[in-house]
Amino acid sequence: MGPLLYTGAISYETGLWLAFPIGLMFGFILEKAGFGDSRNLTNIFYFRDMRVLRVMFSALVTAMLGLIALSYAGLFDYNILVEDSLMKSYFWPQLVGGVVFGLGFVIGGYCPGTAIVGVASGKIDSIVFLIGMVFGIWVFAFGWPIWGNFYMSSDLGRITLWQFFGTSKDLMALIILVMALFAFVLARLGEKWGPYNE
Amino acid sequence: MDNMDYAKGYWNPYVAGIALGLVLTFTFYVMGTGLGASGAVARTAAVVAHSVSPEMIEKQPYFKGFYREGAPHPFVDWTVIEVIGVFVGGLISVLISRRFAVGVGRGPSAGVGLRLFMAFIGGIIAGVGTRFAMGCTSGQALSGGATMVVGSWVFMMAVFATAFAAAYFVRKEWS
Repeated sequence: MGPLLYTGAISYETGLWLAFPIGLMFGFILEKAGFGDSRNLTNIFYFRDMRVLRVMFSALVTAMLGLIALSYAGLFDYNILVEDSLMKSYFWPQLVGGVVFGLGFVIGGYCPGTAIVGVASGKIDSIVFLIGMVFGIWVFAFGWPIWGNFYMSSDLGRITLWQFFGTSKDLMALIILVMALFAFVLARLGEKWGPYNE
Repeated sequence: MDNMDYAKGYWNPYVAGIALGLVLTFTFYVMGTGLGASGAVARTAAVVAHSVSPEMIEKQPYFKGFYREGAPHPFVDWTVIEVIGVFVGGLISVLISRRFAVGVGRGPSAGVGLRLFMAFIGGIIAGVGTRFAMGCTSGQALSGGATMVVGSWVFMMAVFATAFAAAYFVRKEWS
């Protein structure tokens, strides 16, 4: 039963060996989605081509439902995920981090993973973006006296949306599914609207 | 209307999304955690700084976390190895699709100099953002989003709201 690493079915070393093939598939799909080119990544913000939204939300929903399906099939222990391996939430740092990252995304034209695929595609701007990111991480690290305390503030622990809203996992997943389908319709309408088109 | 030939020849976005979602499901099934990317860049920043001044970095309040007593080299890490895979996987796809081309992705009327300057500035800003958020589009928005993590959804909404609003001010870069 999964998660295999947490149920002791595999060792951490075995997990490390799987990182490469998993990354290989991830990078292959990102490239096939068009995400090695900054134009395909930023077109969403100009309502020219909303593929970023389509790829991202269909991937998110697939994995969300996939894990729930695996847990119903008795192949995945969702409780382990929620109690032991889920990422912790830090409300204010993640809100501020999101605002800052969103700015960097539209200005820089990439996010970290897609920039790696950009490098593989021969895109000079992706190399420059990644060098910039290294500088940005130095800025963050050496600015620690200023924001080190903030970085670990508003720690909510491991918390899911269904716990936060006091509902069930399945109902929350259904709401997200409906939201995603609604977003796909809005994406089509946004492209027809095309506010930045000549 | 823009000539968008560069946007042709890719997979249907829903097909790509479902394929990506299956890889993400498999990753959670095996590891209990999802995909990542920015962690590998953070470790690269640590290793580069460490090669210049090891003593300082091993005491640096943020970077010292990568250099604990008895810990392996910062590159012996799940996300770092995964990101090497991302590069190779991207390269395989680019080569079999005959899409490899050295160039600069930019709006049709934007200059190369402007675009590269913005890529650098945007990289710095995004780098700072990933550290506050403890992840990026892969680790937080996608992986945290799929497991319905509160902080990841806060991050995702903030990313897209900010990027849509800020897009107006950098439209010359992309048009």
